Amino acid sequence: MGRKKKKQLKPWCWYCNRDFDDEKILIQHQKAKHFKCHICHKKLYTGPGLAIHCMQVHKETIDAVPNAIPGRTDIELEIYGMEGIPEKDIQDRRRVLEQKSQESQKKKQDQDDSDEDDDDDEAGPSSFQQPASQPQAAYMPPMTQAGMHPGPQAQGMPRAGYAGVHVNSLKYMMPMRGMMPPGPAMPPMMPGMPPGMPPHVARPGMPPMAPAAPITAPRMASRPAVPATQSAASKPLFPSAVQAQQTVLGLSSTTSDSPKVTFPAYTQPSSTPSVAASSSTVAKPPATVTSKPAILTTLIAAIVLLHPDEDISLEERRAQLPRYQRLIPRPGQTAAAAASAPPSGAVGGMIPSQQVIPPQQPGMRHPIHGQYGGPPQGMPGYMGGGMPPYGQSAPMVPPYQSGPPGPPMGIRPPVMSPGSRY
Amino acid sequence: NTGDNGPEDSVSAVKFSPSSAQFLLVSSWDCTVRLFDVSANSMRMKYQHLAPVLDCAFYDPTHAWSGGLDSQLKTHDLNTDQDTIVGTHDAPIRCVEYCPEVNVMVTGSWDMSVRLWDPRTPCNAGTFTQPEKVYTLSVAGDRLIVGTAGRRVLVWDLRNMGYVQQRRESSLKYQTRCIRAFTNKQGYVLSSIEGRVAVEYLDPSLEVQKKKYAFKCHRLKENGIEQVFPVNAISFHSVHNTFATGGSDGFVNIWDPFNKKRLCQFHRYPTSVASLAFSTDGSLLAIACSYMQEQGDVSHPADAVFIRQVTDAETKPK
Repeated sequence: MGRKKKKQLKPWCWYCNRDFDDEKILIQHQKAKHFKCHICHKKLYTGPGLAIHCMQVHKETIDAVPNAIPGRTDIELEIYGMEGIPEKDIQDRRRVLEQKSQESQKKKQDQDDSDEDDDDDEAGPSSFQQPASQPQAAYMPPMTQAGMHPGPQAQGMPRAGYAGVHVNSLKYMMPMRGMMPPGPAMPPMMPGMPPGMPPHVARPGMPPMAPAAPITAPRMASRPAVPATQSAASKPLFPSAVQAQQTVLGLSSTTSDSPKVTFPAYTQPSSTPSVAASSSTVAKPPATVTSKPAILTTLIAAIVLLHPDEDISLEERRAQLPRYQRLIPRPGQTAAAAASAPPSGAVGGMIPSQQVIPPQQPGMRHPIHGQYGGPPQGMPGYMGGGMPPYGQSAPMVPPYQSGPPGPPMGIRPPVMSPGSRY
Repeated sequence: NTGDNGPEDSVSAVKFSPSSAQFLLVSSWDCTVRLFDVSANSMRMKYQHLAPVLDCAFYDPTHAWSGGLDSQLKTHDLNTDQDTIVGTHDAPIRCVEYCPEVNVMVTGSWDMSVRLWDPRTPCNAGTFTQPEKVYTLSVAGDRLIVGTAGRRVLVWDLRNMGYVQQRRESSLKYQTRCIRAFTNKQGYVLSSIEGRVAVEYLDPSLEVQKKKYAFKCHRLKENGIEQVFPVNAISFHSVHNTFATGGSDGFVNIWDPFNKKRLCQFHRYPTSVASLAFSTDGSLLAIACSYMQEQGDVSHPADAVFIRQVTDAETKPK
C-alpha cells in the first residue's frame, strides 16, 4: 500500500462528504456529480476545469461546485479524488470519524442503558474530542517544523544550484522534486507514526534541529552543509567510488543522517528519493549513523582546494609567468598591464620585487627540463616572422630559489566554507 | 609514451583524428603542435606558434587548427606541411573546435569573444561577444555550448548566431574548468576547479531540467585533510555516451551519466591530467599528463601523453 501514510481514511468526497470504498469510484462520483457541465453534460476532471470549460465553451461563469454542501463549494480548489483536499479538512474528517467510531463504541457499551444515557453520549464525544485532538496537536509542531525545513532547504538548493552532490538513486529521477514532497507529506505522515512508536516520536525533535543546522546556521556554512546532506545520498550512487567519495564536510553530514535514518520506513517512494535511496541501495548509512559522528568529525580537519586562484583560470595564471610573457608578441606591451588583474597574480610585472610575493605566488624559478632551449628549435616551416631571440637568454630570472615553505603553495585551509561564491 | 619527440613543456590539448585512431594532435606550452602516429609511437609532424598553444582541433584528417597565447589562429596542412594564419583574436585563444554539422571552426578567447571560421577558404565568419573570457566550449550537433569566467554558460545556435539561445549559470559554485557535450547531443557535462562535475540537459523544459545533477569527484582524503582537485578534462566516448574525466589528482575516471555510476578508475598517473580524448572509434583514450602549475613552479614529473586501449568493460554502461 504505497499511500497508506497519506490517507488512512477511506476515500471520501470533499464536496458532499460521502464515503466511498475506492478512490476510483470516488472519482467517478465527482465527475458525474460535481464536475459535470449543466449545459452540455460534459464531465470534466476538476472544479477549475469545469469553470474554464463553461467559460470557454458556453461563455458562462459558474461560482459554485454543483451538488456540494455549503462550505464546500469552492470552484477554485483543485481537488481530484482525494488529492488536493486541504489539510484542515482532512484532519477535521479524521476527528469526525474518530468521534463517530468512539461514539459507536460507546453506544455499543451502552446499548443496555436507558434513554437517559443518550444525553451522556452527547457529552461523551465532546470529551473524547479533546484528548483525541491533543495528541495530534502535539505532533503537529515538530512536524510542521520538520516539514518546513526541507522546504526552505529545497528552495535553497535549486537556488544554490548543485552545490552538493545530487546523485540520487537509480530509481528516482527527480533530485529536486524529491525534496519538496516531504514538506507537505510529512505532517500527514507523522500522525500515523505515534501509535507504538515512542522512540521515533522523540526523534522528530531532532530533525528540526538537524536540518536547521545546515539551513539556519550561517548561510555560509549551509552551503557545505547542503551538499553534505545530499552527499550521504550520493554515496551509494557511485558505488565503486564510495570510499573515495565519502567526503563529508564536517558536522553537517552527521546531523543530516539522522532525518534520513528516522524516515526511511515512512517514506513513500515518490517522496524523498534521496532518503529512500540511501536506505535501500546501501545498507550502511542507517547502521552506521551512530558511529558516523565520531568518525567523520575527526576525519576531516581541513579541506584544501588544489587550485591557486579562483578568479583566473590555471592557463591564465601560467600565461603570466615571465617565460611565457616574453613569447607573446604584442605592440609595446607593458608588463604591468599584462599581469594586472587579480591581486594575487601579477607575477610578470613584479620580477624585481618578488620577495614580497604573497604566499600563493611562487616566486622561485626552477629551471625545468630543457625549457629554455625549447622555443628556438623547430623553426623551419614557421611563418610569420622569426621568433624573437628571447629564448636564448635563458636565465631570464635570476635563480630565485626563494624556497617556499614546505607545504605546497596555493593552499588555503578552509576553502570550502563560505563566502566567495556562495 | 610519446617518446623523445614529445612536447618539451606541458601539453595543453590532445585530439584524435576524425577518421582514424592512429593520429593524434598534441598542442603544448612549448609553442608547438605535433602530430603523432600512436600506433608507431612516433611523431609525424610538428609546427610552431609564437607562443604557447592552448588548443588544437582537426578540421578534417589533413588539416589541423590551433591557437594559443599568441592570439593567432593557424591551420596547418598535414599533407604539405604548410601553415596558414587564418586570423586573430584580440587576446589569447583558449579553445578551438570544429562543428561538422555546420562545417565551421569555432574559437573561444580571453578577449571574451567566440569567432566562427569557414574552414574551406579559410576566413572569418563572424565574431560573437560573450559576457566573459571564454574558458571552454563544446559543439553539440548544430549548437555551441560556451563556458566562460564567472561561471556563465551560453548555448548558441550555430546556424543563427544573432542571439544567444540560452543563458545559464553553471550549477557548480566554482570556476568552470571544462564543458563537453554528450555524444547524443542531449546535454553536456561541466566540471569545475573544485572536484565536481555537473550533468546538464539542453532541453529547457521542466521535466528534462529536473534530471540534472552533480557529483563530487577527484578528491583525496588522507590524514584528516581532504584535497579537492580541479577537473581539467572531459571526453565522451563516441558510442556509449559515457565520459571520462581527468583531474589534477592524476586520476582518470569513467562515468555512466544515465545510470549515475562510475564505471572505472585508472591507476594514478604521475601528475595532473591536462587533457583527454577518446578516439572516434572509441577504442583508445589519450591521456595528457602535465603538471599545470596548480602549486606554483615546483619540480614535477615530465610531461607525457599516454595512449590507453579501452575496453567495453571500462566504457560501456552496465
